[in-house]
Amino acid sequence: MTVTTTDHGEPQKDPQDDGRSIEAVAGHHESREQRHFKERIAVWLFIGGDLVFLLMELFYWFYLRALNTNGMWRGAECSKANPCTDGLGNAITGEITKANPAYTLTIAGLTVLAAFLIWRVEIVARAQAKRGVISGSAALALLVLLGAVVVQCIQFGKLPFTTIDGSYASSFLYFMGSTLGHLLLLTFLTFALWNRGRLGKYDGGHWYQVRLSRIFAVWIAISTCVLALVMVVFA
Amino acid sequence: MEESGSDPLPVVKPFFSRAGGKIFIIWLVMTIIGVLIGAYAPHHLLPTLLSTEGTKVWETIVLFTILAAPVAAFVYAVGLYSLLGWRARGFGNSDEPPPDGPSLRGDAPMTAVWLGVSAVLVIVLLVWGLGEYNAAQTSHPDTLQVDVTGQQWLWTFSYPGAGNVETRSLVLPINRPVQFNVTSEDVTHGFWPAALGVQVDANPNVVTVIGSTPDKLGTFTVRCSQLCGLYHSFMYASGAVVTPQKFAAWLQTQGVPAPQAAQAADVKASTS
Amino acid sequence: MTTTDAPPMLLEDTPLGKGAGGLYRRQNALTGLVGGVFLGFIGWVVSHRLLQGSNWGSDMVVTVTMVGWVLGFNIGMGTFNAPIRWMLGHDQSYEDELYAAGVTQGKSRYWKFCTDHKVVGTQYLILVMVLFGVGGTLAMMMRTQLITPHSSFLSANSYNAIVSIHGMVMIIATIIMVTGPFTNFIMPIMIGAKDMAFPRLNAMSFWVVVSAVPPLLATFFLGGVDAGWTTYAPLSVQAPAAMDAFSMTMIVFVISVTISGINTIVTILTMRAKGMTLGRMPIFTWASMVGAALSVYAMPALLITFTAMITDRVTGTSFFVAAQGGTGWLWENAFWIFGHPEVYIILIPPVGAMLEVASTFARKPLFGYKVTIAAFTAVAGLSVMVWAHHMFTTGWAPDLAGPFMVTTELISIPTGIIFLCIIGTIWRGSIWTRLPMFFVYLFLWDFIIGGVTGIYLSDVPADNFFHGDMFVTAHFHYTLLGGAMIAAVAGLCYWFPKISGKMLNERIGKTAFWIIAIAIQITYFGQFWEGFQGMPRRVAFYDPIFLHANQMTTVGAYFLMLGFLVLLYCLIDGWRHGKPAPANPWHAKSLEWKVPTPVPLVNFLVDPVVTTDPYGYGEPEPDNLSTDFPDPDRELVPTLSSDRPVTGGEVL
Repeated sequence: MTVTTTDHGEPQKDPQDDGRSIEAVAGHHESREQRHFKERIAVWLFIGGDLVFLLMELFYWFYLRALNTNGMWRGAECSKANPCTDGLGNAITGEITKANPAYTLTIAGLTVLAAFLIWRVEIVARAQAKRGVISGSAALALLVLLGAVVVQCIQFGKLPFTTIDGSYASSFLYFMGSTLGHLLLLTFLTFALWNRGRLGKYDGGHWYQVRLSRIFAVWIAISTCVLALVMVVFA
Repeated sequence: MEESGSDPLPVVKPFFSRAGGKIFIIWLVMTIIGVLIGAYAPHHLLPTLLSTEGTKVWETIVLFTILAAPVAAFVYAVGLYSLLGWRARGFGNSDEPPPDGPSLRGDAPMTAVWLGVSAVLVIVLLVWGLGEYNAAQTSHPDTLQVDVTGQQWLWTFSYPGAGNVETRSLVLPINRPVQFNVTSEDVTHGFWPAALGVQVDANPNVVTVIGSTPDKLGTFTVRCSQLCGLYHSFMYASGAVVTPQKFAAWLQTQGVPAPQAAQAADVKASTS
Repeated sequence: MTTTDAPPMLLEDTPLGKGAGGLYRRQNALTGLVGGVFLGFIGWVVSHRLLQGSNWGSDMVVTVTMVGWVLGFNIGMGTFNAPIRWMLGHDQSYEDELYAAGVTQGKSRYWKFCTDHKVVGTQYLILVMVLFGVGGTLAMMMRTQLITPHSSFLSANSYNAIVSIHGMVMIIATIIMVTGPFTNFIMPIMIGAKDMAFPRLNAMSFWVVVSAVPPLLATFFLGGVDAGWTTYAPLSVQAPAAMDAFSMTMIVFVISVTISGINTIVTILTMRAKGMTLGRMPIFTWASMVGAALSVYAMPALLITFTAMITDRVTGTSFFVAAQGGTGWLWENAFWIFGHPEVYIILIPPVGAMLEVASTFARKPLFGYKVTIAAFTAVAGLSVMVWAHHMFTTGWAPDLAGPFMVTTELISIPTGIIFLCIIGTIWRGSIWTRLPMFFVYLFLWDFIIGGVTGIYLSDVPADNFFHGDMFVTAHFHYTLLGGAMIAAVAGLCYWFPKISGKMLNERIGKTAFWIIAIAIQITYFGQFWEGFQGMPRRVAFYDPIFLHANQMTTVGAYFLMLGFLVLLYCLIDGWRHGKPAPANPWHAKSLEWKVPTPVPLVNFLVDPVVTTDPYGYGEPEPDNLSTDFPDPDRELVPTLSSDRPVTGGEVL
């Protein structure tokens, strides 16, 4: 089945790397471009999995909304027929107040801004800007992301409902939790971009990891916006 | 290299001493066995089926088995013959492989035939199944309504047409379509009167519906087909298909006044 | 390269400095265990303290404890070392990575975070065997209970818990039984690569799965999961705290499988040897890729389901609680959106492995290579559209029963093509009846039965009779055990010499085969009989009319256990005392047989260039076959003097 090409068995070190790593076994005969190609496919596949997760979240939301089991998507308005008290005169839940869209839209906006800023990091890294410029842009993106995380945490405290208030409330809170989780993941990446930028890892044209982070950040921004749209429009 | 003189005619072995012929014989025997199993075994294995739906289930099993038999038999026949006629004798414990077989990488006509036959089979099965399914959806004006409530771990039946009497056993008059309106008090249960050939889950806060037309007298058991907790094994009720007169008499034993029981059992009475 | 004196140093013999590996030097399964117990304990105490008045076994406490266990175990194992070091800008050096690949560690690397795909594959193999042992033991307990209608062997609660965990342990084991050992160990060599695309992620996938298993077993001590492996809501929302541990297992497990799926796909797409076009890839590689692609779709779908279950139980959301706007139907839909592709994730890679065996032992090319690939793809594609056939009797959407019946029955067409491929491969072959080939024939027998009975279930009116009874159980045991697992065993017997360096004792193996083959028929025909009679699933006590069928099943199960024990004995005996295996005992043509046994760390010291597919039986050897490529039984690299003994590597 095979024909040979003789090859030397020594490990190859990229002269540009000076201490940066090359995968010991898998990559030591690979070119930089091959490695980048692999990493990019992996990021896209991960995004594909996250897309499935997003679609399932939408399925949950719209299915529960359509079924409205026991009238408890958002509950029923208080009326003569449904006086919002139980048989003992205790108040029970009427219609749930919709959440304030301001928080949701702010978080989505900040995430979009952060993705834009991370794109800027990539642009300056590709242009081989100075180390301080790269890490400075990343620091800006990190601050915006932390802002989004803070706003998201504040929103948890400011909701007009809790988990037990029906399936709209449950789905809304789940979407918030999912957004927070994705934001934290992106924050980890952006922190690494800032730190590594500061240490000079992205000098001299080694911008590929920034590109991968940018691809992921753009996806997070898109998915956050999709969730935000559903949360605000389809309450 | 040219030979002088004419080539002798190629010798064609008789069909049944060639591989194809032997496979055909094995296939035929296995198909016949499969068809016989399909025709007779289900009747002996299934419980006594007491409704038209149940009979349809039996027919489906018989048909599917008979249709599957030649397909399965072909695969089995080739497999068996490969061990009889194509096994490399003497190599069973050998570390050296036998000589290679012919380089058959594919056969477009065979693949097309295979695809075609399987497609035809699937269409037949679909037409049969969809037809039966749609037929089961039609409703009748004199349908007897029975409300079924499942809870951990028992079944309760109530007859709206007989003053909503609640019973623990499911008694039905023969030859009258029944519609079961099924719900649950707690978790998901499975309302399963197997002899009637139907089932539907009992879900909390919704009512699911299934219909059946009992057409034979007899007794049956309603079991729970969806794991529902600790005593799922014990969640069953007894059922029976009886004549309308017996049905009315039974309703009276459940506390329904005689005139109302007679009306509920009367096929011409309006339903609830 | 040198041509005279010193033999080339193999990468695995590289001497490393004392600090190479960093933290990895001190981390292994023991530190993982300590870390997991420690952080789990911290989680237990902290969550309890924060919830004044809550009991030590409440849902929140159990959930936090399990999160602590998973994180602590993986921190202790070193799973997170690389990302944290990356974040800190202190990347791993080349020497660190050699250490992580197991250099200079000998046998202890099997207990550590080791990035060598061969080590990961072997670790998975051991894990799979342990899981099958646990699941099998639980099955035997169930069958022992069911030998009489009203046994006092188990209580109702114990039985329900055992039935659920038996199911989930087997599902986990069958998902990873081929993609763990063989897609990791064999597939990279088969495509001419030096490792998987992301060796660290590969090791991470393994240890993450390991961390998912103790919570599953802990369920027995937390009240037991009594809702089956499918844990339908709302029953599971009300289950004891064991259900939180169960949910954590699933969340962690699907993360591992998703990552491993991504790794597999990237490896196959980007790391094939020169000349190995997609059309020359062995069928096992295709099957691995299709299975991996399905994983990337199906596993994230399950992630939301079990996280929503945890929020329902711990925080009071109502995804699945009808009184508050939820519905059990949401659970069922979401679960089966994962669950049906999942059974094809279980089935397709073993079938690929079995097709390699069929080709090698019929000494013929694979029949219909392209058509088979199309069939795998069609099966995978259709499998995402059939999920509601598990819900025909739920009453959720009667109008959708027809469409789902159509899509389900359509799957039988590409499945049938796979049978054509097997039949065509053995047609007029030169059948070499060695041990791996036996299991191919058993697969043929079993999977026909399993597949045909699936067609019964796809017919809605028939399913209205059979749903929830033992007929369904018999169907999926025939397909998953009789089909997928037997195909995996064929692959195991086939690749055993490459992985372990030893040959199996075929007499013991064939004995095991016959016991297993006959026992499968007795056991699962007994279950078909139970199903026809109308016996429900998941019952600990049954109506005496089902007695004979259950007796038949239990007797069969005991023989099945015996058969698998003999198989286990065969594997252990082979591993320890088997004849040393040559590099290519089966005279097969794919690349994994062209490397020496034991396989060097980098697999190929000389990069292969591929000109044909590995199915050239009965065809003349290509003219351009060079004589430079080393004979794997004699030398690792070509040198001028050819009488040098084999060096390097070690026998496992």
